[in-house]
Amino acid sequence: MKIVAITTSTPASSVALADGLTVVASAENVNARGHADFVVAALDFCMRTAKWSPDEIESVVVDVGPGLYTGIRVGVSVAQGIGASVGAQVAAASSLDALALRAATGRRRIFPVVDVRRGEVAIAGYSPLPGGVVRDHPVELTTPERLVAMLSTHRQETLLVGDIPALGKGALAGLRGVRVGRPRYPTAEALAEAGLGVLERGEAPHPDSVRPQYLRDADVNINWRRLRSRFYPPVDNG
Amino acid sequence: MSGPILAFETSCDETGVAVVSGRRVLSNVLSSQVELHARFGGVVPEVAARSHVEAIRGLTHRALMEAGIHLNDLQAVAATQGPGLVGALLVGHSFAKALAWSRRLPFLGIDHMEGHLFSPRLEYPDFRPPAVALLASGGHTQLVHMRDWGDYRILGETIDDAAGEAFDKLARVMGLGFPGGPAIDRASESGDPASVRFPRALSRRRHHFSFSGLKTSVSTFLEKAARRGELPSREDVAASVQEAIVDVLVEKTLNAAEDTGVRVIGAGGGVLANRRLRTRLAEQADRRGLELYVPSPRLCVDNGAMIGAAAVYRLERGEVTSWGAGVDPGLRLGSV
Ligand SMILES: [Zn+2]
Repeated sequence: MKIVAITTSTPASSVALADGLTVVASAENVNARGHADFVVAALDFCMRTAKWSPDEIESVVVDVGPGLYTGIRVGVSVAQGIGASVGAQVAAASSLDALALRAATGRRRIFPVVDVRRGEVAIAGYSPLPGGVVRDHPVELTTPERLVAMLSTHRQETLLVGDIPALGKGALAGLRGVRVGRPRYPTAEALAEAGLGVLERGEAPHPDSVRPQYLRDADVNINWRRLRSRFYPPVDNG
Repeated sequence: MSGPILAFETSCDETGVAVVSGRRVLSNVLSSQVELHARFGGVVPEVAARSHVEAIRGLTHRALMEAGIHLNDLQAVAATQGPGLVGALLVGHSFAKALAWSRRLPFLGIDHMEGHLFSPRLEYPDFRPPAVALLASGGHTQLVHMRDWGDYRILGETIDDAAGEAFDKLARVMGLGFPGGPAIDRASESGDPASVRFPRALSRRRHHFSFSGLKTSVSTFLEKAARRGELPSREDVAASVQEAIVDVLVEKTLNAAEDTGVRVIGAGGGVLANRRLRTRLAEQADRRGLELYVPSPRLCVDNGAMIGAAAVYRLERGEVTSWGAGVDPGLRLGSV
Protein backbone atom coordinates (compact mmCIF):
# COMPACT_ATOMS: atom_id res chain seq x y z
CA MET A 1 0.00 0.00 0.00
CA LYS A 2 1.44 3.34 -1.08
CA ILE A 3 1.24 5.77 1.82
CA VAL A 4 2.06 9.45 2.20
CA ALA A 5 2.67 10.56 5.77
CA ILE A 6 2.74 14.16 6.94
CA THR A 7 3.54 15.66 10.32
CA THR A 8 3.55 19.40 11.04
CA SER A 9 2.43 19.52 14.66
CA THR A 10 5.79 20.61 16.05
CA PRO A 11 8.53 22.94 14.81
CA ALA A 12 9.66 19.97 12.68
CA SER A 13 7.86 19.39 9.41
CA SER A 14 8.33 15.92 8.03
CA VAL A 15 6.94 13.96 5.10
CA ALA A 16 7.52 10.37 4.06
CA LEU A 17 6.49 7.97 1.33
CA ALA A 18 6.09 4.41 2.49
CA ASP A 19 5.12 1.21 0.78
CA GLY A 20 3.65 -0.67 3.69
CA LEU A 21 6.37 -0.62 6.31
CA THR A 22 9.12 0.24 3.84
CA VAL A 23 9.98 3.92 3.73
CA VAL A 24 11.04 4.83 0.20
CA ALA A 25 11.66 8.55 0.67
CA SER A 26 11.44 11.14 3.41
CA ALA A 27 12.35 14.74 4.15
CA GLU A 28 12.43 16.86 7.27
CA ASN A 29 12.83 20.51 8.15
CA VAL A 30 12.86 22.26 11.51
CA ASN A 31 11.25 25.70 11.38
CA ALA A 32 8.23 26.51 13.53
CA ARG A 33 6.93 28.93 10.89
CA GLY A 34 7.96 26.97 7.83
CA HIS A 35 5.33 24.22 7.60
CA ALA A 36 3.46 25.64 4.63
CA ASP A 37 6.57 26.43 2.60
CA PHE A 38 7.96 22.97 3.17
CA VAL A 39 5.32 20.27 2.95
CA VAL A 40 4.18 20.22 -0.68
CA ALA A 41 7.64 21.06 -2.02
CA ALA A 42 9.05 18.18 0.07
CA LEU A 43 6.36 15.79 -1.15
CA ASP A 44 7.23 16.76 -4.71
CA PHE A 45 10.91 16.09 -4.03
CA CYS A 46 10.16 12.72 -2.41
CA MET A 47 7.93 11.66 -5.30
CA ARG A 48 10.71 12.37 -7.78
CA THR A 49 13.22 10.51 -5.61
CA ALA A 50 10.96 7.48 -5.28
CA LYS A 51 9.75 7.75 -8.90
CA TRP A 52 6.18 7.67 -7.70
CA SER A 53 3.35 9.61 -9.20
CA PRO A 54 0.74 11.36 -7.01
CA ASP A 55 -2.12 9.39 -8.55
CA GLU A 56 -0.62 6.19 -7.16
CA ILE A 57 -1.16 7.40 -3.59
CA GLU A 58 -3.60 5.08 -1.85
CA SER A 59 -3.51 6.52 1.64
CA VAL A 60 -2.53 9.67 3.47
CA VAL A 61 -1.69 9.57 7.16
CA VAL A 62 -1.66 12.95 8.81
CA ASP A 63 -0.60 14.07 12.26
CA VAL A 64 -3.68 15.69 13.80
CA GLY A 65 -1.81 16.68 16.94
CA PRO A 66 -1.67 17.49 19.70
CA GLY A 67 0.74 20.31 18.91
CA LEU A 68 0.93 23.69 17.19
CA TYR A 69 -2.50 24.61 15.85
CA THR A 70 -1.36 26.45 12.77
CA GLY A 71 1.08 23.71 11.83
CA ILE A 72 -1.50 20.97 12.33
CA ARG A 73 -3.96 22.82 10.12
CA VAL A 74 -1.38 23.02 7.34
CA GLY A 75 -0.83 19.25 7.50
CA VAL A 76 -4.52 18.41 7.70
CA SER A 77 -5.32 20.79 4.81
CA VAL A 78 -2.61 19.25 2.63
CA ALA A 79 -3.84 15.75 3.47
CA GLN A 80 -7.43 16.70 2.70
CA GLY A 81 -6.32 18.34 -0.53
CA ILE A 82 -4.56 15.18 -1.68
CA GLY A 83 -7.47 13.04 -0.52
CA ALA A 84 -10.00 15.15 -2.43
CA SER A 85 -7.79 15.18 -5.49
CA VAL A 86 -6.72 11.56 -6.00
CA GLY A 87 -9.37 9.84 -3.91
CA ALA A 88 -6.88 8.47 -1.40
CA GLN A 89 -8.18 7.51 2.04
CA VAL A 90 -7.12 9.93 4.77
CA ALA A 91 -6.29 8.69 8.23
CA ALA A 92 -5.48 10.61 11.39
CA ALA A 93 -2.56 9.70 13.61
CA SER A 94 -1.28 11.19 16.84
CA SER A 95 1.96 13.08 17.32
CA LEU A 96 2.29 11.39 20.72
CA ASP A 97 1.88 7.90 19.21
CA ALA A 98 4.57 8.66 16.63
CA LEU A 99 6.95 9.83 19.38
CA ALA A 100 6.28 6.80 21.59
CA LEU A 101 6.84 4.40 18.68
CA ARG A 102 10.38 5.67 18.24
CA ALA A 103 11.28 5.84 21.93
CA ALA A 104 14.11 3.39 22.48
CA THR A 105 13.37 1.38 25.59
CA GLY A 106 12.63 -2.22 26.43
CA ARG A 107 10.98 -1.80 29.78
CA ARG A 108 10.47 1.80 30.82
CA ARG A 109 7.09 3.46 30.76
CA ILE A 110 7.11 6.07 27.97
CA PHE A 111 5.73 9.59 28.29
CA PRO A 112 6.02 11.66 25.11
CA VAL A 113 5.79 15.44 25.49
CA VAL A 114 4.52 17.85 22.85
CA ASP A 115 4.56 21.62 23.26
CA VAL A 116 1.13 23.18 22.82
CA ARG A 117 2.26 26.67 23.93
CA ARG A 118 0.85 28.98 26.60
CA GLY A 119 2.76 27.17 29.28
CA GLU A 120 1.18 23.79 28.61
CA VAL A 121 2.30 20.50 27.11
CA ALA A 122 0.35 17.49 25.87
CA ILE A 123 1.31 14.08 27.18
CA ALA A 124 0.16 10.47 27.08
CA GLY A 125 1.54 7.28 28.65
CA TYR A 126 2.69 4.14 26.83
CA SER A 127 4.06 0.74 27.74
CA PRO A 128 6.55 -0.94 25.47
CA LEU A 129 5.57 -4.22 23.82
CA PRO A 130 7.64 -6.42 21.56
CA GLY A 131 7.55 -4.57 18.23
CA GLY A 132 5.57 -1.58 19.44
CA VAL A 133 3.92 0.34 22.22
CA VAL A 134 0.47 0.47 23.73
CA ARG A 135 -1.12 3.62 25.08
CA ASP A 136 -2.24 3.17 28.68
CA HIS A 137 -2.58 6.75 29.87
CA PRO A 138 -4.91 9.07 27.94
CA VAL A 139 -3.85 12.19 26.09
CA GLU A 140 -4.04 15.17 28.40
CA LEU A 141 -2.92 18.75 28.72
CA THR A 142 -0.71 19.54 31.66
CA THR A 143 1.80 22.06 32.90
CA PRO A 144 5.48 21.25 33.45
CA GLU A 145 4.86 21.56 37.21
CA ARG A 146 1.95 19.12 37.22
CA LEU A 147 3.87 16.70 35.00
CA VAL A 148 6.80 16.70 37.41
CA ALA A 149 4.44 16.19 40.36
CA MET A 150 2.85 13.22 38.59
CA LEU A 151 6.19 11.67 37.66
CA SER A 152 7.51 12.03 41.22
CA THR A 153 4.73 9.76 42.52
CA HIS A 154 5.43 7.17 39.82
CA ARG A 155 7.12 4.02 41.04
CA GLN A 156 7.80 2.71 37.54
CA GLU A 157 10.96 3.64 35.67
CA THR A 158 10.02 6.23 33.09
CA LEU A 159 11.38 7.48 29.78
CA LEU A 160 10.41 10.98 28.74
CA VAL A 161 10.69 11.73 25.03
CA GLY A 162 9.60 14.62 22.85
CA ASP A 163 10.05 18.33 23.34
CA ILE A 164 11.72 18.23 26.76
CA PRO A 165 13.18 21.75 26.41
CA ALA A 166 9.56 22.99 26.27
CA LEU A 167 9.28 22.02 29.95
CA GLY A 168 11.79 24.71 30.84
CA LYS A 169 15.35 24.61 32.07
CA GLY A 170 15.95 22.28 35.00
CA ALA A 171 12.28 21.30 35.18
CA LEU A 172 13.16 17.65 35.76
CA ALA A 173 15.95 18.21 38.29
CA GLY A 174 15.82 15.82 41.23
CA LEU A 175 13.31 13.38 39.69
CA ARG A 176 14.22 9.78 40.37
CA GLY A 177 13.79 6.92 37.95
CA VAL A 178 13.10 9.28 35.05
CA ARG A 179 15.31 9.28 32.01
CA VAL A 180 15.12 11.63 29.08
CA GLY A 181 15.50 10.35 25.56
CA ARG A 182 14.89 10.91 21.90
CA PRO A 183 13.25 11.64 19.54
CA ARG A 184 12.47 15.29 20.20
CA TYR A 185 9.93 15.61 17.36
CA PRO A 186 7.65 13.11 15.65
CA THR A 187 8.73 11.96 12.19
CA ALA A 188 6.54 11.12 9.24
CA GLU A 189 8.17 7.67 9.07
CA ALA A 190 6.94 6.86 12.55
CA LEU A 191 3.57 8.36 11.74
CA ALA A 192 3.21 6.12 8.69
CA GLU A 193 3.90 3.15 10.92
CA ALA A 194 1.41 4.37 13.51
CA GLY A 195 -1.29 4.71 10.86
CA LEU A 196 -0.57 1.53 8.95
CA GLY A 197 -2.76 -0.75 11.03
CA VAL A 198 -5.90 1.33 10.53
CA LEU A 199 -5.22 1.69 6.83
CA GLU A 200 -4.54 -1.99 6.18
CA ARG A 201 -7.69 -2.95 8.01
CA GLY A 202 -9.54 -0.50 5.78
CA GLU A 203 -10.74 1.37 8.86
CA ALA A 204 -9.89 4.90 7.77
CA PRO A 205 -12.84 7.09 8.75
CA HIS A 206 -14.74 9.49 6.51
CA PRO A 207 -12.31 12.27 5.59
CA ASP A 208 -14.51 14.88 7.28
CA SER A 209 -13.80 13.26 10.62
CA VAL A 210 -10.07 13.83 10.20
CA ARG A 211 -9.77 17.01 12.24
CA PRO A 212 -7.05 18.72 14.24
CA GLN A 213 -6.94 17.60 17.86
CA TYR A 214 -6.94 20.95 19.63
CA LEU A 215 -7.58 19.83 23.24
CA ARG A 216 -8.53 23.43 24.03
CA ASP A 217 -11.36 25.65 22.89
CA ALA A 218 -10.35 28.71 20.94
CA ASP A 219 -10.01 31.15 23.79
CA VAL A 220 -12.20 34.07 23.10
CA ASN A 221 -12.66 36.68 25.74
CA ILE A 222 -15.99 38.25 25.13
CA ASN A 223 -16.39 41.60 26.76
CA TRP A 224 -20.19 41.58 26.80
CA ARG A 225 -20.34 45.11 28.20
CA ARG A 226 -18.38 46.35 25.22
CA LEU A 227 -20.93 44.74 22.90
CA ARG A 228 -23.89 46.54 24.46
CA SER A 229 -25.09 50.00 23.59
CA ARG A 230 -25.43 52.49 26.41
CA PHE A 231 -28.11 54.31 24.44
CA TYR A 232 -30.36 51.78 22.72
CA PRO A 233 -31.62 48.30 23.58
CA PRO A 234 -30.16 45.41 21.57
CA VAL A 235 -31.92 44.28 18.40
CA ASP A 236 -32.29 40.78 17.06
CA ASN A 237 -30.45 40.54 13.79
CA GLY A 238 -31.89 37.18 12.87
CA MET B 1 -9.42 30.68 -24.13
CA SER B 2 -8.58 29.17 -20.78
CA GLY B 3 -10.18 26.12 -19.18
CA PRO B 4 -11.82 26.08 -15.79
CA ILE B 5 -9.88 27.17 -12.72
CA LEU B 6 -10.75 26.01 -9.22
CA ALA B 7 -10.22 28.94 -6.86
CA PHE B 8 -10.13 29.26 -3.07
CA GLU B 9 -10.53 32.27 -0.79
CA THR B 10 -9.92 31.92 2.96
CA SER B 11 -8.32 35.20 3.98
CA CYS B 12 -10.85 36.08 6.68
CA ASP B 13 -14.17 34.62 7.79
CA GLU B 14 -15.68 33.37 4.53
CA THR B 15 -14.65 30.06 3.05
CA GLY B 16 -15.08 30.60 -0.68
CA VAL B 17 -14.63 28.04 -3.45
CA ALA B 18 -15.43 28.73 -7.09
CA VAL B 19 -14.96 27.43 -10.59
CA VAL B 20 -14.24 30.16 -13.12
CA SER B 21 -13.71 29.69 -16.83
CA GLY B 22 -12.52 32.80 -18.64
CA ARG B 23 -14.99 35.42 -17.50
CA ARG B 24 -17.69 32.90 -16.70
CA VAL B 25 -18.45 31.93 -13.11
CA LEU B 26 -19.48 28.27 -13.23
CA SER B 27 -19.97 28.09 -9.48
CA ASN B 28 -19.23 30.29 -6.49
CA VAL B 29 -20.01 28.76 -3.12
CA LEU B 30 -19.50 30.40 0.25
CA SER B 31 -19.63 29.13 3.78
CA SER B 32 -20.07 32.24 5.83
CA GLN B 33 -19.00 32.23 9.46
CA VAL B 34 -20.99 35.37 10.25
CA GLU B 35 -23.22 33.69 12.80
CA LEU B 36 -20.22 32.02 14.41
CA HIS B 37 -18.46 35.34 14.96
CA ALA B 38 -21.58 37.43 15.69
CA ARG B 39 -21.62 36.60 19.39
CA PHE B 40 -18.00 37.72 19.73
CA GLY B 41 -18.78 41.04 18.06
CA GLY B 42 -16.03 40.51 15.49
CA VAL B 43 -13.94 37.98 13.63
CA VAL B 44 -11.83 35.80 15.94
CA PRO B 45 -8.81 34.53 13.97
CA GLU B 46 -8.53 31.14 15.71
CA VAL B 47 -12.26 30.51 15.31
CA ALA B 48 -12.03 31.47 11.63
CA ALA B 49 -9.10 29.14 10.96
CA ARG B 50 -10.82 26.20 12.65
CA SER B 51 -13.96 26.76 10.71
CA HIS B 52 -12.15 26.89 7.34
CA VAL B 53 -10.69 23.43 8.01
CA GLU B 54 -14.15 22.06 8.60
CA ALA B 55 -15.74 23.66 5.57
CA ILE B 56 -13.20 23.43 2.79
CA ARG B 57 -13.45 19.79 1.66
CA GLY B 58 -17.23 19.74 1.43
CA LEU B 59 -17.36 23.14 -0.27
CA THR B 60 -14.86 21.99 -2.88
CA HIS B 61 -17.11 19.10 -3.82
CA ARG B 62 -20.10 21.41 -3.94
CA ALA B 63 -18.31 23.93 -6.16
CA LEU B 64 -17.26 21.22 -8.61
CA MET B 65 -20.70 19.65 -8.63
CA GLU B 66 -22.55 22.94 -9.16
CA ALA B 67 -20.17 23.78 -11.97
CA GLY B 68 -20.70 20.36 -13.51
CA ILE B 69 -16.95 19.98 -13.68
CA HIS B 70 -14.74 17.01 -12.94
CA LEU B 71 -11.25 17.47 -11.54
CA ASN B 72 -9.94 16.14 -14.86
CA ASP B 73 -11.39 19.17 -16.63
CA LEU B 74 -9.47 21.72 -14.56
CA GLN B 75 -6.73 23.80 -16.05
CA ALA B 76 -5.33 25.23 -12.83
CA VAL B 77 -5.94 25.76 -9.11
CA ALA B 78 -5.66 29.11 -7.33
CA ALA B 79 -5.85 30.35 -3.76
CA THR B 80 -5.52 33.63 -1.90
CA GLN B 81 -1.92 34.20 -0.85
CA GLY B 82 -2.58 37.35 1.19
CA PRO B 83 -3.27 39.80 2.69
CA GLY B 84 -5.37 38.39 5.51
CA LEU B 85 -5.31 36.35 8.70
CA VAL B 86 -2.34 34.00 8.54
CA GLY B 87 -4.05 30.97 10.08
CA ALA B 88 -7.06 31.36 7.80
CA LEU B 89 -4.96 31.92 4.67
CA LEU B 90 -2.90 28.81 5.36
CA VAL B 91 -5.92 26.49 5.25
CA GLY B 92 -7.11 27.41 1.76
CA HIS B 93 -3.61 27.87 0.39
CA SER B 94 -2.36 24.49 1.69
CA PHE B 95 -5.47 22.61 0.58
CA ALA B 96 -5.39 24.18 -2.89
CA LYS B 97 -1.68 23.70 -3.39
CA ALA B 98 -1.87 20.03 -2.39
CA LEU B 99 -4.84 19.47 -4.65
CA ALA B 100 -3.04 21.11 -7.59
CA TRP B 101 0.17 19.25 -6.91
CA SER B 102 -1.44 15.82 -6.75
CA ARG B 103 -3.34 16.53 -9.99
CA ARG B 104 -0.20 17.90 -11.66
CA LEU B 105 -1.99 21.19 -12.28
CA PRO B 106 -0.42 24.63 -12.16
CA PHE B 107 -1.01 26.46 -8.87
CA LEU B 108 -1.40 30.21 -8.50
CA GLY B 109 -1.15 32.19 -5.26
CA ILE B 110 -3.32 35.27 -5.77
CA ASP B 111 -3.36 38.70 -4.13
CA HIS B 112 -6.74 39.06 -2.44
CA MET B 113 -6.93 42.73 -3.42
CA GLU B 114 -6.23 41.95 -7.05
CA GLY B 115 -9.13 39.51 -6.79
CA HIS B 116 -11.40 42.41 -5.81
CA LEU B 117 -10.03 44.47 -8.71
CA PHE B 118 -10.94 41.70 -11.16
CA SER B 119 -14.40 40.94 -9.80
CA PRO B 120 -16.28 43.62 -11.82
CA ARG B 121 -14.99 41.93 -14.97
CA LEU B 122 -16.96 38.81 -14.16
CA GLU B 123 -20.19 40.71 -14.81
CA TYR B 124 -19.13 43.60 -17.00
CA PRO B 125 -17.08 42.76 -20.11
CA ASP B 126 -16.48 46.49 -20.65
CA PHE B 127 -14.75 47.03 -17.35
CA ARG B 128 -11.07 47.61 -17.96
CA PRO B 129 -8.24 49.92 -16.88
CA PRO B 130 -7.25 52.68 -16.77
CA ALA B 131 -9.53 52.99 -13.79
CA VAL B 132 -9.65 53.76 -10.11
CA ALA B 133 -11.10 51.24 -7.72
CA LEU B 134 -12.60 51.65 -4.28
CA LEU B 135 -11.95 48.53 -2.20
CA ALA B 136 -13.70 48.62 1.16
CA SER B 137 -14.41 45.87 3.65
CA GLY B 138 -13.96 45.00 7.30
CA GLY B 139 -10.30 44.29 6.68
CA HIS B 140 -9.27 46.89 4.14
CA THR B 141 -10.13 50.29 2.68
CA GLN B 142 -8.09 51.41 -0.30
CA LEU B 143 -8.24 53.53 -3.40
CA VAL B 144 -6.28 51.93 -6.20
CA HIS B 145 -5.18 53.43 -9.48
CA MET B 146 -5.32 50.61 -12.02
CA ARG B 147 -3.05 51.81 -14.79
CA ASP B 148 -3.39 48.47 -16.53
CA TRP B 149 -4.19 44.90 -15.51
CA GLY B 150 -1.37 43.95 -13.22
CA ASP B 151 -0.15 47.53 -12.88
CA TYR B 152 -1.56 49.09 -9.73
CA ARG B 153 -0.73 51.95 -7.44
CA ILE B 154 -2.33 52.43 -4.05
CA LEU B 155 -3.47 56.06 -4.04
CA GLY B 156 -4.72 56.06 -0.50
CA GLU B 157 -5.92 53.88 2.30
CA THR B 158 -7.27 54.10 5.79
CA ILE B 159 -4.95 55.43 8.45
CA ASP B 160 -6.96 53.79 11.24
CA ASP B 161 -10.11 51.66 10.92
CA ALA B 162 -11.29 50.00 7.73
CA ALA B 163 -14.73 51.20 6.59
CA GLY B 164 -16.29 47.87 7.53
CA GLU B 165 -14.71 48.08 10.98
CA ALA B 166 -16.20 51.55 11.38
CA PHE B 167 -19.64 50.14 10.56
CA ASP B 168 -19.08 47.36 13.11
CA LYS B 169 -18.01 49.71 15.89
CA LEU B 170 -20.79 52.20 15.22
CA ALA B 171 -23.39 49.45 15.06
CA ARG B 172 -22.20 48.41 18.50
CA VAL B 173 -22.62 51.96 19.83
CA MET B 174 -26.19 51.84 18.54
CA GLY B 175 -26.86 48.32 19.84
CA LEU B 176 -27.25 46.93 16.33
CA GLY B 177 -24.97 43.89 16.64
CA PHE B 178 -22.47 42.27 14.30
CA PRO B 179 -21.84 42.51 11.41
CA GLY B 180 -22.45 46.24 11.51
CA GLY B 181 -22.68 47.02 7.79
CA PRO B 182 -25.84 45.06 6.98
CA ALA B 183 -27.38 46.03 10.35
CA ILE B 184 -26.88 49.75 9.75
CA ASP B 185 -28.04 49.38 6.15
CA ARG B 186 -31.30 47.78 7.37
CA ALA B 187 -31.87 50.23 10.23
CA SER B 188 -31.23 53.18 7.92
CA GLU B 189 -34.11 52.23 5.64
CA SER B 190 -36.60 54.01 7.87
CA GLY B 191 -34.23 56.71 9.11
CA ASP B 192 -33.52 60.25 7.94
CA PRO B 193 -29.90 60.63 6.77
CA ALA B 194 -30.10 64.39 7.34
CA SER B 195 -31.31 64.20 10.92
CA VAL B 196 -27.85 64.48 12.48
CA ARG B 197 -24.87 66.02 10.75
CA PHE B 198 -21.83 64.00 11.81
CA PRO B 199 -18.39 65.25 10.74
CA ARG B 200 -17.03 63.96 7.42
CA ALA B 201 -13.55 62.76 8.23
CA LEU B 202 -11.95 64.12 5.09
CA SER B 203 -8.41 63.72 6.34
CA ARG B 204 -5.88 66.24 5.16
CA ARG B 205 -4.30 63.67 2.93
CA ARG B 206 -6.59 63.79 -0.07
CA HIS B 207 -6.78 60.08 -0.86
CA HIS B 208 -6.52 58.66 2.64
CA PHE B 209 -9.32 57.66 4.98
CA SER B 210 -9.81 58.03 8.71
CA PHE B 211 -12.85 56.64 10.49
CA SER B 212 -11.87 56.51 14.14
CA GLY B 213 -12.95 60.08 14.82
CA LEU B 214 -16.49 59.35 13.69
CA LYS B 215 -17.00 56.81 16.45
CA THR B 216 -15.95 59.38 19.04
CA SER B 217 -18.24 62.07 17.69
CA VAL B 218 -21.21 59.69 17.47
CA SER B 219 -20.64 58.55 21.07
CA THR B 220 -20.26 62.12 22.27
CA PHE B 221 -23.39 63.20 20.41
CA LEU B 222 -25.47 60.35 21.85
CA GLU B 223 -24.11 61.05 25.33
CA LYS B 224 -25.20 64.69 25.20
CA ALA B 225 -28.54 63.89 23.55
CA ALA B 226 -29.30 61.26 26.19
CA ARG B 227 -28.46 63.69 28.96
CA ARG B 228 -30.85 66.22 27.48
CA GLY B 229 -33.45 63.48 27.08
CA GLU B 230 -33.53 64.11 23.33
CA LEU B 231 -32.16 60.87 22.00
CA PRO B 232 -33.11 60.64 18.31
CA SER B 233 -34.54 57.40 16.98
CA ARG B 234 -31.97 54.69 16.35
CA GLU B 235 -33.00 54.63 12.69
CA ASP B 236 -32.24 58.33 12.29
CA VAL B 237 -28.83 57.95 13.91
CA ALA B 238 -28.06 54.88 11.79
CA ALA B 239 -29.03 56.66 8.58
CA SER B 240 -26.95 59.70 9.56
CA VAL B 241 -23.93 57.60 10.47
CA GLN B 242 -24.22 55.69 7.21
CA GLU B 243 -24.46 58.95 5.29
CA ALA B 244 -21.27 60.23 6.90
CA ILE B 245 -19.32 57.11 5.92
CA VAL B 246 -20.83 56.94 2.45
CA ASP B 247 -20.12 60.62 1.80
CA VAL B 248 -16.44 60.13 2.52
CA LEU B 249 -16.13 56.98 0.42
CA VAL B 250 -17.93 58.56 -2.53
CA GLU B 251 -16.13 61.89 -2.42
CA LYS B 252 -12.66 60.33 -2.16
CA THR B 253 -13.39 57.93 -4.98
CA LEU B 254 -14.44 60.80 -7.24
CA ASN B 255 -11.38 62.80 -6.20
CA ALA B 256 -9.23 59.86 -7.19
CA ALA B 257 -10.88 59.62 -10.58
CA GLU B 258 -10.42 63.35 -11.11
CA ASP B 259 -6.76 63.38 -10.05
CA THR B 260 -5.80 60.41 -12.21
CA GLY B 261 -7.90 61.55 -15.13
CA VAL B 262 -9.58 58.16 -15.55
CA ARG B 263 -13.15 57.76 -16.75
CA VAL B 264 -13.74 54.32 -15.24
CA ILE B 265 -14.47 53.40 -11.62
CA GLY B 266 -14.45 49.88 -10.23
CA ALA B 267 -15.28 48.72 -6.73
CA GLY B 268 -15.27 45.74 -4.44
CA GLY B 269 -15.26 44.53 -0.85
CA GLY B 270 -18.10 43.75 1.53
CA VAL B 271 -18.87 47.43 2.26
CA LEU B 272 -19.86 47.81 -1.41
CA ALA B 273 -22.90 45.67 -0.63
CA ASN B 274 -24.25 48.74 1.23
CA ARG B 275 -27.25 49.95 -0.75
CA ARG B 276 -26.85 53.63 0.06
CA LEU B 277 -23.21 53.54 -1.05
CA ARG B 278 -24.15 51.83 -4.32
CA THR B 279 -26.88 54.38 -5.02
CA ARG B 280 -24.76 57.39 -4.18
CA LEU B 281 -21.79 56.16 -6.19
CA ALA B 282 -24.06 55.58 -9.18
CA GLU B 283 -25.63 59.07 -8.90
CA GLN B 284 -22.31 60.83 -8.62
CA ALA B 285 -20.59 58.84 -11.36
CA ASP B 286 -23.55 59.51 -13.62
CA ARG B 287 -23.47 63.23 -12.89
CA ARG B 288 -19.82 63.39 -13.92
CA GLY B 289 -20.16 61.10 -16.90
CA LEU B 290 -17.95 58.39 -15.40
CA GLU B 291 -18.42 54.68 -16.04
CA LEU B 292 -19.07 52.82 -12.80
CA TYR B 293 -18.79 49.06 -12.36
CA VAL B 294 -19.88 47.70 -9.00
CA PRO B 295 -20.31 43.91 -8.89
CA SER B 296 -23.44 42.41 -7.42
CA PRO B 297 -23.21 41.94 -3.65
CA ARG B 298 -22.20 38.27 -3.78
CA LEU B 299 -19.17 39.22 -5.87
CA CYS B 300 -18.38 42.21 -3.63
CA VAL B 301 -17.93 40.17 -0.48
CA ASP B 302 -14.86 37.95 -0.27
CA ASN B 303 -15.45 34.99 -2.58
CA GLY B 304 -13.64 32.37 -4.62
CA ALA B 305 -14.77 33.63 -8.03
CA MET B 306 -12.80 36.88 -7.72
CA ILE B 307 -9.66 34.88 -6.96
CA GLY B 308 -10.43 32.76 -10.01
CA ALA B 309 -10.85 35.87 -12.16
CA ALA B 310 -7.43 37.19 -11.19
CA ALA B 311 -5.98 33.70 -11.65
CA VAL B 312 -7.28 33.52 -15.23
CA TYR B 313 -5.28 36.67 -15.99
CA ARG B 314 -2.15 35.49 -14.17
CA LEU B 315 -2.28 32.10 -15.87
CA GLU B 316 -2.67 33.70 -19.31
CA ARG B 317 0.55 35.55 -18.62
CA GLY B 318 2.23 32.22 -17.97
CA GLU B 319 2.65 32.77 -14.24
CA VAL B 320 2.80 29.79 -11.89
CA THR B 321 3.48 29.72 -8.15
CA SER B 322 6.09 27.27 -6.87
CA TRP B 323 5.25 24.43 -4.48
CA GLY B 324 7.53 26.06 -1.92
CA ALA B 325 5.59 29.32 -1.78
CA GLY B 326 3.79 30.15 1.45
CA VAL B 327 1.20 32.76 2.32
CA ASP B 328 1.86 36.45 2.89
CA PRO B 329 -0.50 38.02 5.45
CA GLY B 330 0.96 41.47 4.80
CA LEU B 331 0.93 41.31 1.01
CA ARG B 332 0.48 44.72 -0.64
CA LEU B 333 -0.83 45.38 -4.13
CA GLY B 334 1.92 46.05 -6.59
CA SER B 335 4.59 44.36 -4.48
CA VAL B 336 4.36 40.93 -6.15
ZN1 LIG C 1 -11.73 41.48 0.75
